[in-house]
Amino acid sequence: MMQSAPFNYRRVIIWISRLVLAGIFIYAGYAKITMGRSPRPPLGVALGFFEMQVSSYQILSHQASRFVAHTLPFAEIALGLLLLIGWQLRVWATLITLIIAGFFASVVRAYSMGLQINCGCFAKPEPLDGMTVVRDGALLLLAVLMTVFVFMEARKPHPWNATPTL
Amino acid sequence: MIPRLRLVLASVLTLAAFGMLLLAAPPEQKSAQTKTSAAKSTATPKPADVPAVSTATITVNGVTDIDPTKAFGSKSAAVVVEIFSDFQCPACKQLFTNTTQRVMENYVNTGKIYLVHRDFPLPMHAYSRVAASYSRAAAHIGKCEPVELALFQNQEKWEANGDIKGTVAAVLSPAEMKKVQAIVDAKTLEPLIEKDKQLGQTFPVTQTPTTVFHAKGATYPYAGTLSYEVMKDFLDQLVAQK
Repeated sequence: MMQSAPFNYRRVIIWISRLVLAGIFIYAGYAKITMGRSPRPPLGVALGFFEMQVSSYQILSHQASRFVAHTLPFAEIALGLLLLIGWQLRVWATLITLIIAGFFASVVRAYSMGLQINCGCFAKPEPLDGMTVVRDGALLLLAVLMTVFVFMEARKPHPWNATPTL
Repeated sequence: MIPRLRLVLASVLTLAAFGMLLLAAPPEQKSAQTKTSAAKSTATPKPADVPAVSTATITVNGVTDIDPTKAFGSKSAAVVVEIFSDFQCPACKQLFTNTTQRVMENYVNTGKIYLVHRDFPLPMHAYSRVAASYSRAAAHIGKCEPVELALFQNQEKWEANGDIKGTVAAVLSPAEMKKVQAIVDAKTLEPLIEKDKQLGQTFPVTQTPTTVFHAKGATYPYAGTLSYEVMKDFLDQLVAQK
C-alpha cells in the first residue's frame, strides 16, 4: 500500500515557497506584458517600456537591456509554472534563486547609488526605495531556503519509491 | 527788543504751520518722491515697452495646455511627448544633450512626433525658476532652441555664479535680449510656467526629467534619463501602432 509523504517543516516551507514564488513570478511576467492595463497595450509597446525600465538601472548595454526586456517577462511566467508543476524542481528552484539574487543585487546597487528610478518589478510606477530592497531581500531568503530544502529532501528516498518493509 | 521777539515768534509760527501742513498731507503724496527714485533705479520697463506676448495655449491629440512656442513638430503627429525638466538638474541636461536633440532631428523634424517642453523648476534649485522664465521669454520671441541649449550647456557655470542673464545674452542679439528682459521683468509668462508645474503634479511628476508619452489615447510616464537608443526603441513601437 502506498503511503503519503511524511509531513515535516521542510516540506511545508518548500510548498509555501513554491506557491508564493510561482504566484509572484507569473504575476510579474503577466504585468510586464500587459503593463497592468486594460485594454492591454500592444506587446511591442509594453516590452519597449520595460526596456526603458531595465536600462534605467544603468547596468546593461542597450542590446543587453533589449534582450532582457524581450525575454524576462516570458521566462518569469514559464519559471513560475514550472515551479508550480514541480517537475525537475531542483533545476528550476536553483534558476529562480539565481534570478532573484540578480534582481536583489541590481536593486541594492541602484539604491546605494541613489538612483531615482522606478523598480520596474511589476510594470507599474513604483519608486525604488528601502522597502523594495527589503522586499527583494525577503524573496531571496525564501528562494534560498526553498532551494536548500529541495536538495535536502531530494537526497532522501521518496516514500512512494522506498522498498516496503514487511 | 520787542521787534526781535516778534520776529522770533513769527518764525516759530511759520515753521509750525509748515510742519502741520506736512503732517496733514496724504501718504501717497509723501512717498511720491521715494517711489519715483525707486522706479528710476530698477528701470522697470513701462507696459508700452513690453513686447506683446500671448499666453494662449493649444491642445494637440488630447494633450492640453501646450504653449505653442515651447512645442515642436507636426500637430497631426500620432505621438505626443512631453518632457518635464528643470534647467538646473544634471539629469535633465544629460537627457537634453544626449537624447532630446537627436529625437528632434529624427522624430520631430520628420513629423513623427510632437514634442512639448514643459517647465518643472524644483524648489531645491536656486536658479531654475529664473532660468525657466528666461527660456520661456526667449521662446516667445522665437528663440527657444538656442536659449535652452545655452542654458543646459552652461549649467555648471550659471549654477555657480547665478548669471543666467549673461548666459542668455550670449546667444541673443542686444535687441532680442532687450525684448526677453522686458518680458521677464513684466512676469507676463509666469502663469504658463505655473500651469506646466500644476500639470506635472497630476501625473504625478516626482522628479526631473520625467517624460510622458501619449499615443492612441494611452499615457506612459517615465521618470529619469534615457539614452537615445532606448527611447528610439520605444518611440518606434509607439509610432508603428495601427
